[in-house]
Amino acid sequence: MLGRLGVRLAGAVFVLWAVASVTFFAVRLIPGDPAQAVLGGPGSQASPEALAAVTAEYGFDQPVFTQYLTQLGRLATGDLGRSYALNMEVGPLVLAQLGGTLLLAVLALGLAWVIALALATWSTRGGRVAARVGSSLEIVAAALPHFWLATSLIVVFSIWLGVLPPISTAGVAGLVLPVFTLAIPLAGFLGQIMRESLLIALESPFVLSARARGEGARGVRWIHALRHASLPAISLSGWAFGSLISGAVVVETIFARPGLGRTLLNAVTLRDVPVVIGVVMIVAVAYILMTLLTDAVSRLVDPRLRLS
Amino acid sequence: MPAQLAPITTATRTTRALGALVGLVTVGLLVAGCTPTSSNDPVGEPRSSGTLTYASGDAEPNCLDPHVGGNFPQGMISAQYLESLVSRDSSGQIIPWLAESWTPSGDGLTWDFTLRGDVTFTDGTVFDAAAVQANIAHLQDPETLSSTGYLALGKVARVEAVSPTVVRFTLTEPDSALLESLSQVWLAMESPAALERSQDENCATPVGTGPFVVESWVKQNAITLVRNENYVSPPEDAAHSGPAYLDKVIWRFIPDSASRYAALQSGEVDVIDNAQPDTIVQAKQSDSIEQLDSPRPGASNRIELNSGQAPFNDVRVREAFIRSANVDAAVSSLFQGTATRSYSALSSVETMGVSNDALFDYAPSAAEELLDAAGWSETDAAGYRVKDGVRLSVEFPVSTNQSIPAEQSVFEQIQATAKETGFEVKLAPMDLSSWYAALATNDYDAVSAPYTKVGPDVLRILYHSDSIVPAPSGYFANLAQVNDPEIDELLTTAAQTADEKERTSLYAEAQERILEGFYILPLYDQQNHYLLRNDVVGLRTLPTVAVPTLYDAWLNR
Repeated sequence: MLGRLGVRLAGAVFVLWAVASVTFFAVRLIPGDPAQAVLGGPGSQASPEALAAVTAEYGFDQPVFTQYLTQLGRLATGDLGRSYALNMEVGPLVLAQLGGTLLLAVLALGLAWVIALALATWSTRGGRVAARVGSSLEIVAAALPHFWLATSLIVVFSIWLGVLPPISTAGVAGLVLPVFTLAIPLAGFLGQIMRESLLIALESPFVLSARARGEGARGVRWIHALRHASLPAISLSGWAFGSLISGAVVVETIFARPGLGRTLLNAVTLRDVPVVIGVVMIVAVAYILMTLLTDAVSRLVDPRLRLS
Repeated sequence: MPAQLAPITTATRTTRALGALVGLVTVGLLVAGCTPTSSNDPVGEPRSSGTLTYASGDAEPNCLDPHVGGNFPQGMISAQYLESLVSRDSSGQIIPWLAESWTPSGDGLTWDFTLRGDVTFTDGTVFDAAAVQANIAHLQDPETLSSTGYLALGKVARVEAVSPTVVRFTLTEPDSALLESLSQVWLAMESPAALERSQDENCATPVGTGPFVVESWVKQNAITLVRNENYVSPPEDAAHSGPAYLDKVIWRFIPDSASRYAALQSGEVDVIDNAQPDTIVQAKQSDSIEQLDSPRPGASNRIELNSGQAPFNDVRVREAFIRSANVDAAVSSLFQGTATRSYSALSSVETMGVSNDALFDYAPSAAEELLDAAGWSETDAAGYRVKDGVRLSVEFPVSTNQSIPAEQSVFEQIQATAKETGFEVKLAPMDLSSWYAALATNDYDAVSAPYTKVGPDVLRILYHSDSIVPAPSGYFANLAQVNDPEIDELLTTAAQTADEKERTSLYAEAQERILEGFYILPLYDQQNHYLLRNDVVGLRTLPTVAVPTLYDAWLNR
């Protein structure tokens, strides 16, 4: 048990190191003087004095590898550093935006599960036509790009029907369109997998034996088959969570929602390396935690995993 | 704020449902279902109440003090709470603001400004000569990291208080652009007491004398401004006096153009900026939305041809490129009538601008003759001109942050028409940092860079050979690399000439030389379109840098 935990922990540290390194070099090796980017918004022209001050202050005159080691050293002590552009510590900045994105991702994941479950159970029960409609809906949903879906939902629900705000607002209403935008494509993915495994499960010998023991059709479907069929979808949810956060970049921009996605986008544009690394690290941590969680849930759902 | 929705009055349920289908298929037909609403109540007496929500398409500033850095988004918001010493009216005349009057000395080296004596900053600090001194010192302090304000004060050697209401500027050489520079929002006056706080604090809540006060700033969400109840100092060209009408202003950032317009249509916001051509055309069909078009001052949007290296170091090749580009067709089709073609180095709001359309005719056959004469007479298999085995290529880095989608399409049209003459235009879209890097390493033959500044002195920044010398970062403003002693002489003299007539004729001569040298291909003014709900009354832009001012605005609802 301890040994496995150790391996897991080492794996997590390795992932974090790799994520930090790749991000650092990816952002820094793109041409462009970060000092110029920090000072030079469109239309403004940085003075030599200002550039020199910024270059010295942030150590941009050091070799890139030295800057990398400095950055890594700081990260090792848990210090995410100071934003080049925003004049504040990265830690509090990222944490302040984390809540909004997490809320969005968790709600979208939940909604995607609900939609996928409904689609899968309906389409496996309703005969050939239902199966065909269900699988078509899943494929279309899975293929919808976030930006297109978001704009279409805004046109229909904000402009024509006028029932939901097109941009984020203080209340719950502002969350509806962003959550649906993220949930619909994901529901398509999850639904496809669930339906397939549900079909396999329903034809498995254990379903037959459950029936033989006197279990009703509903009991077989909801307790035995679905439990089996949800396993691939549960392990996929870890990945899905990561993809939701990347989807948040688009959704937060379109719906003008505060969050990690928008922070990341702004930071990349500005070459604000500490913020980019900060956001990516937080996302990586969330991803690792989510994978651990889906592992645990799988164990809970599937007794076979508990034995090994 | 109660959501005010644009009612769909004429469309039936069926057409709406049909429209929904169409919309789901084509995002391009975004607002096809929006039909005009009935016209509003006639405008009555201004009402002093209400909250206005403003949605900006620009990036959220990192600092609300425009002394720090100094870009356009900062200028737009800070015009609501900061004021300058002087302003400019719509005819181009400099008018009093926080300074009542001014007198330059005979040699133009000292300027005495007499200040209003009745103004206090919103933190209670008195606005006086010492405050002006502190502001100029703040702008010139390298620690402030000012760019725009710092450059504009290049000739200011010293500022001293002669009396509490008289402040004296001492210059290193005469500066005919001093008043124009001081009118800019990036050089606005802030409370000296507030400036003494840390930069982080001052960035979050700068303190000025303006009609609104910064109440709070929730990053990535909104900036909240509230009315300054003790406001006394509107500029001469304002429509009323006393405090502003609006109780409160919510300033939001909605980067996506379609969402921004959707939010305006649904009444979630009252004013949007950075309206794109397709949106403006849609808005024209709506009775509930109005447009405010206010081109930015300074330079026009133009393509600069790098005359410092081949192939554009030959004036014939520059002219050939300009003659081969069908700009008129591109602008009218892609901007859909929302932008007017420019034939000038300066914005149409600059009264000293010189325009010469004869130089920019689309004439492909003339272009071909020019290329033949310049030795680019061979043609390779791909149809491009060749000289000594080298293809006639034009590296054209495009900043996707600064060039809106319609402008990028104009460049593509230019690429297509120039190809017919034998130019290989290599458009390279890139983000801002990479774009700066391409310019710094001289990796470009053509480029388009906006430059906003009040007055014709922008010509000196853009076309004086001094501006070819790169800053330590490698950046330089003279991207056409114009290196003509005669132009230098004209621009330097003009910048020192106080006499308006003489100044006008010097700038005219300089512009003619620039245009006739085919260094630039003017496109249109720097676009600056606002859309507003028609119950927003009294919104205007300051004629200085065309930033909106909400001081006279009120809500007719």
